[in-house]
Amino acid sequence: MNFIFTEEQIQFKDAIKAFLNDECTPESIRGGWASKQSFNQNRWKGLADLGVLGSNLSEDSGGLGMDQVALVLMVEEMGYAGLPEPAAEQTFLINDLLPMLPPKIQESIQEHHMSGTSYISVAHPLAPNPLFLKESTGLLIFEEDSYKFVLTSDVEFEEVVSNDPSRELGRIISIKNSISSSENFELLNAAVLSRGALMTAALLIGLSQKMIDLSSVYALDRTQFGKPIGSFQAVKHMLADVAVAIEFARPAIYRAAYSLVDNNPKSALHCAHAKYMSARAAEIASKNSIQTHGAMGYTWEMDLHIYMRKAWSLMACWGNEDKQQNIIFNTLKSSKDELGVLYTF
Amino acid sequence: MKINFTPEQDLFRQEIRSWLEQNIPSTTLLSLDTKEGFEQHREWEKTLNAGNWSMVTWPKEYGGRGLDLIEWLIFEEEYYRAEAPLRVNQNGVFLLGPTLMEFGTHEQKSKFLNAMATGDHIWAQGWSEPGAGSDMAAIRTTAVLEDGYYRINGQKTWSSRATYADWTFGLFRTDLNSERHRGLSFILVPLDLPGITVRPIAQLDGEPGFAEIYFDDVKVPVENLLGGDGEGWKIAMATAGFERGLMLRSPARFQQTAAKLLQLYLDNESDCSPAMQASIVEAWAQSESYALSIYHTASKMLAGGSIGSESSLGKIFWSELDHMMHQTALKILGASAELSLDSKHDAAKWIKGFMFSYAGPIYAGTNEIQKNIIAERLLGLPK
Repeated sequence: MNFIFTEEQIQFKDAIKAFLNDECTPESIRGGWASKQSFNQNRWKGLADLGVLGSNLSEDSGGLGMDQVALVLMVEEMGYAGLPEPAAEQTFLINDLLPMLPPKIQESIQEHHMSGTSYISVAHPLAPNPLFLKESTGLLIFEEDSYKFVLTSDVEFEEVVSNDPSRELGRIISIKNSISSSENFELLNAAVLSRGALMTAALLIGLSQKMIDLSSVYALDRTQFGKPIGSFQAVKHMLADVAVAIEFARPAIYRAAYSLVDNNPKSALHCAHAKYMSARAAEIASKNSIQTHGAMGYTWEMDLHIYMRKAWSLMACWGNEDKQQNIIFNTLKSSKDELGVLYTF
Repeated sequence: MKINFTPEQDLFRQEIRSWLEQNIPSTTLLSLDTKEGFEQHREWEKTLNAGNWSMVTWPKEYGGRGLDLIEWLIFEEEYYRAEAPLRVNQNGVFLLGPTLMEFGTHEQKSKFLNAMATGDHIWAQGWSEPGAGSDMAAIRTTAVLEDGYYRINGQKTWSSRATYADWTFGLFRTDLNSERHRGLSFILVPLDLPGITVRPIAQLDGEPGFAEIYFDDVKVPVENLLGGDGEGWKIAMATAGFERGLMLRSPARFQQTAAKLLQLYLDNESDCSPAMQASIVEAWAQSESYALSIYHTASKMLAGGSIGSESSLGKIFWSELDHMMHQTALKILGASAELSLDSKHDAAKWIKGFMFSYAGPIYAGTNEIQKNIIAERLLGLPK
């Protein structure tokens, strides 16, 4: 029993944090909004150079061979920075699934994707509008009982505007020349659902941390009645509630990641738990952060909404709180004797 | 990261499990806040000690097993799963114990830890005073050093277990010219000394779970001072950290409540609205998160970290969770939710727990005080 990270994992996380701190500033994100080009190729290339994009590919395929535990730490930082590029999606939803896909799809992906910087997008009933199709080389589509891979050049799509301008979404109109399969569909679908939930959970906790940090700085800076508003208990208590919600969502994320590494039969439940706790944390982080900022929080000018909008989007896709609640409830009912005090790990 | 139990930890779990199966009293003990029940629980402490289970993390020389926090968590899981009796010496074993371990002299450790383990000394808390509740630095009870002893005058209140306990620990003002948190000392006081009057206070359930303690020229030997004269605040803060942190409420307690709540729901599902499902999920999710967080913290501490203001986060979380779970239970119970323990109805245990769950957000520092601590020490907001 050793529920902590290795030095190496922490160092990798710190390196990504430092890179994003320099390269993914609020100004650069707003620049992407203004030019309607949120996918910044230089930043994407920088992430590839750092090893992030191939972090969880096997060392044989030129990756760093990292597992999901290392991945969630990294993805949390992507959330914290409000990173527009789909590096979390690429690692969690493509790299991680790759070994499970049938050989013909694997081969096609490896042929079109393993250049190091090329990007493959994903569509799923729980995230139906794939991200950054324009920048992608391929698209993996999950449907009700099958999945297919298609080159983006064979996809006809139209733009869909997200409430988060950093998320450039597409709606698929038609596709041709896809490689379709239903082999191991249930296994693959469960795998992508768990990873989608865990990925959005880690992003949401990073975003929640950013929101509380921005709010704490604002509460120190803004004065009313001759004092910083952060000296008032009403403000302190709102932010303390956010800190509590974040604190108890984080270990759920770490446990869920470990369950994937460990092939725990309850990993689907653990990933649902991670998303459930994180969505709730992000909800209270948004509500109490905007309240701390007062009217400034309700402006386009204040940076808070860069992160709040992304949080709202991620709360909604890959299974919102209600969907996760259903997963948890059904599991509680069907395996009540295998849950609780003896089955935490 | 490797969050599985080792074969040694599994063996340890088996050992405590089979010991509990053989030793747990066959009939439920009376409430520990009645005189007879208190003595029954003292006997149980002695039984635990005979099996070497008083406090597994203490060194062997003080009656422990020299094990680590993970094993303590395993012990607690088995303890709650087996529905073993409440620990009447909670104040001693989980609060004063760790404090003595950190600040006590060898003589103090030998004397007090061993007597604590054997159940000979059951401890009461002595923090609050009529004018010092949330504002603990307003303590006015004085302890004046005269040759070889402290002369104590004043009054403590809300002293948990003091009605029947043998000893109390708390803060006393040893420097009469001092103010606030300076000039306070941490002193251990036997409750049978001349000049001490204990006045029980009936709690919400009608039982005297806490009491007022009056000190009238009480003479306490100077060797009962823990740490240095005037260092009481620092030591009390460490105790408060243990209390709010890992030791006061181990996660097994809440996981066990969540499991029972799930069963209660399943037994009554056809009478419940779908809204109850959300509460059942929340109970499981939060109790699970609390357990994960404590294992995470324990791992960090074993790797050389320490627990500070973070413990305030946990105190808020478990106390609100406990209340939410009991509220949910009462909703499921319908009209039976008004029945008291005297009714001998199964529902009554939930009602007793429900009432006690109102105390959680108050004791060990109110949740509002915890939120101030979080805002000021973790988020850096101004006083």
